[in-house]
Amino acid sequence: MSAASPAIEPQMTTGAIVAKTPRPFVLARRTIITPILLSLLMIAVALLTMMTGSRPFNQVIIDVFLRVILVVGLYVFIGNSGVLSFGHIGFTCLGAYVAAWLTINPIMKKMAFSGLPGWLIKAQMPYWEAAIIAAIFAGLAALIFGRILMRLSGIAASIATFAMLAMINTIYSNWETVTGGTSSVVGIPIIRSIWPYLIAAIISIFIAWAHAISRSGLALRAARDEPTAAAASGIDIPRERLVAFVISGAIMGLGGALMAHSIGVVTPDTFYLGLTFITIAMLVVGGMGSLSGGVIGVVFLSALIQTLRWLEAGVSIGDVAFAIPKGLQEIALGIIMIIILALRPAGVFGNREISLTRNRGD
Amino acid sequence: MINKLKITTMTMLFTATAAFPALADDSKIVVGFATAESGFMEAYDKPATDAALIRIDEINAAGGLLGKKIEVVKADTKSDRAEGAKAGLSVLDQGADLVVVSCDYDFGSPAALAAEAAGKVSFFLCAESVKAGIQGVGPHSFSASVLAAVQGATMAEWAYNKKEAKTFYRLLDSWTEYNKGICDGFDWMMPKLEAKGAKLLGQDTFKNDDPSIAAQISRIKALPKEPDAIMLCTMMPGGVSAIKQIRAAGINSMILNGSGMDGSYWLSAVPDLSNFYVPVQGSIYGDDPNPEVTKFNAAYKAKTGGDPSSMYVYPGYVMIDVWAKAVERAKSIDADAVVAELEKMKNEPTLFGSRTFTSELHHQNQTKYLVADTEKGKPAIIDSWTISEPIPLDALLK
Repeated sequence: MSAASPAIEPQMTTGAIVAKTPRPFVLARRTIITPILLSLLMIAVALLTMMTGSRPFNQVIIDVFLRVILVVGLYVFIGNSGVLSFGHIGFTCLGAYVAAWLTINPIMKKMAFSGLPGWLIKAQMPYWEAAIIAAIFAGLAALIFGRILMRLSGIAASIATFAMLAMINTIYSNWETVTGGTSSVVGIPIIRSIWPYLIAAIISIFIAWAHAISRSGLALRAARDEPTAAAASGIDIPRERLVAFVISGAIMGLGGALMAHSIGVVTPDTFYLGLTFITIAMLVVGGMGSLSGGVIGVVFLSALIQTLRWLEAGVSIGDVAFAIPKGLQEIALGIIMIIILALRPAGVFGNREISLTRNRGD
Repeated sequence: MINKLKITTMTMLFTATAAFPALADDSKIVVGFATAESGFMEAYDKPATDAALIRIDEINAAGGLLGKKIEVVKADTKSDRAEGAKAGLSVLDQGADLVVVSCDYDFGSPAALAAEAAGKVSFFLCAESVKAGIQGVGPHSFSASVLAAVQGATMAEWAYNKKEAKTFYRLLDSWTEYNKGICDGFDWMMPKLEAKGAKLLGQDTFKNDDPSIAAQISRIKALPKEPDAIMLCTMMPGGVSAIKQIRAAGINSMILNGSGMDGSYWLSAVPDLSNFYVPVQGSIYGDDPNPEVTKFNAAYKAKTGGDPSSMYVYPGYVMIDVWAKAVERAKSIDADAVVAELEKMKNEPTLFGSRTFTSELHHQNQTKYLVADTEKGKPAIIDSWTISEPIPLDALLK
């Protein structure tokens, strides 16, 4: 072959191959600054919240951290695979109900979920243990669903994930003895401290980063950008997608469990279209292919929503009270999102990540 | 990028300053409304909130409570649960001594749970699930309305005794807790009536958003004889369509419903509706046996510019009324002292029926209801009824 095409590089010696092979962790070392910067941003937000001492603001920031977890979970799958999933909030629902099953006081549980097995009714554990189990449970569910769904691609995969969401929602709305049906499930211990949410958000960010630079994550991104070439290079696309799907499912489950603890009430309709669209919007506005985009998209849109809400409630400047009409927040948010997407169709960050040096994307 | 970050941080700082808590003040008593000022729950919350404000104005005009003025603070839940929790915390930070939460248990509970955790009294504006109180929130939580189960039980017993209804049919819209609650009360009452010769001919369910209940209707039509009364446990908006379909199918049985279908705003959708009965706490039709209610309706119109649209205006007034009485009696706004006084209330008269609270139930399991009858599309009060015995807790919790 080399004789027929003289332009090709002469065959490399073993030494040259070794020299070309990157040293272990070189990619990790080059990119770890991104999750660190994002975590510092989260910590800064948390410290700022501490300083205000305002309880509603504290709750707002807890919500922001929860959204960060959910959007990071979405990013792990959507960002790396390029397949838009409308079904991930289903895993959040699974996680939230696991938290309910494991943390509610057994006496109340017996009343609310008469159909649960005896050992589950008796179980009561601290919220963080329950959250870990919730993540594992959601990850397992993702593994089962993913085995089938990941064989699909393009719009078929998106619609199939949506069908999965509808399925989970219908089961949880109607299986009265196990989920309480459409009724609110109460008695979940409420955690108002900001730190557990911060820690979970940071852990999610690091998991997402570690996955993105892993062999599997890189292969998946290659398949996203050049599916034919990737498949020709021996990448098993359904398998790599499944790995991302399971990891993102687990993160969504963790977010769901913590969401349950943030307000102390869960119902199936919380985890349906509304939450699906707002989280996807945050990811898309921030930049679908970028972890930084996802995280900063959440912070940015949340700050925007909060400011608009605050304007709705009314502001006094001197003697003049000023308020925008109620409901304008949703409209203004929509318009701002359209403007951002019109100016930057790939989202604010596109494919890039934040770092200290000028980066060229991944 | 740095710029974007800067903007973001500044926006957040800005918001943080806005959310800064107001300082507590001992010279006034603060009532915080963590209710919906936008979104679909506003239709329920706003009228009841207005009624509550009327009572607060009355108290302030008469010199206040414990010699202090009542001040009102508000936070919008946007008809959203997560926002509800924030709204609850927000009014607490503004010094609320009483936290008033949304009409519905599902949407009010996050704010009520926040109040409970802060050790403050919370009141659901008009929730009718047993969970809206001790069972679903905690020992400092109350509801100003009457349990949905009482409505179902009242209608069944009244129809049996006053309208000689002997055969019943139960049709449940399984959409909400409220609907299920009405039918739970009916189910509790029915065996008692059956012992006296009544008969349940059958039962069926549908969902509020079902476009057609033809299948359910044909099962009613298939009965050897049309039932005397159909207990229809439903609410807006699907209830209207269900009633329309039942009548269009030529079923003329009396239809019994809960208070959720009170009001004349929807009657034009079912022209000339007759033989339709709902229990109400007070009449919005200007024919309440108590002239004070009609006076209140006028005050409500003067304040809001419109007549009450349904009886769900009234619990807001009742709520401030009983709470203020408890505060006067406790001579303090300390939550435990106020709760203790509220729990001493036994058949406490209010403008819209009596109220009883016990250490087990912060809700009404037996109270007098007026019965509104709609004939030829015109509703009017025709009777009143109090169920013969209170509904026990285990029937409510099942």
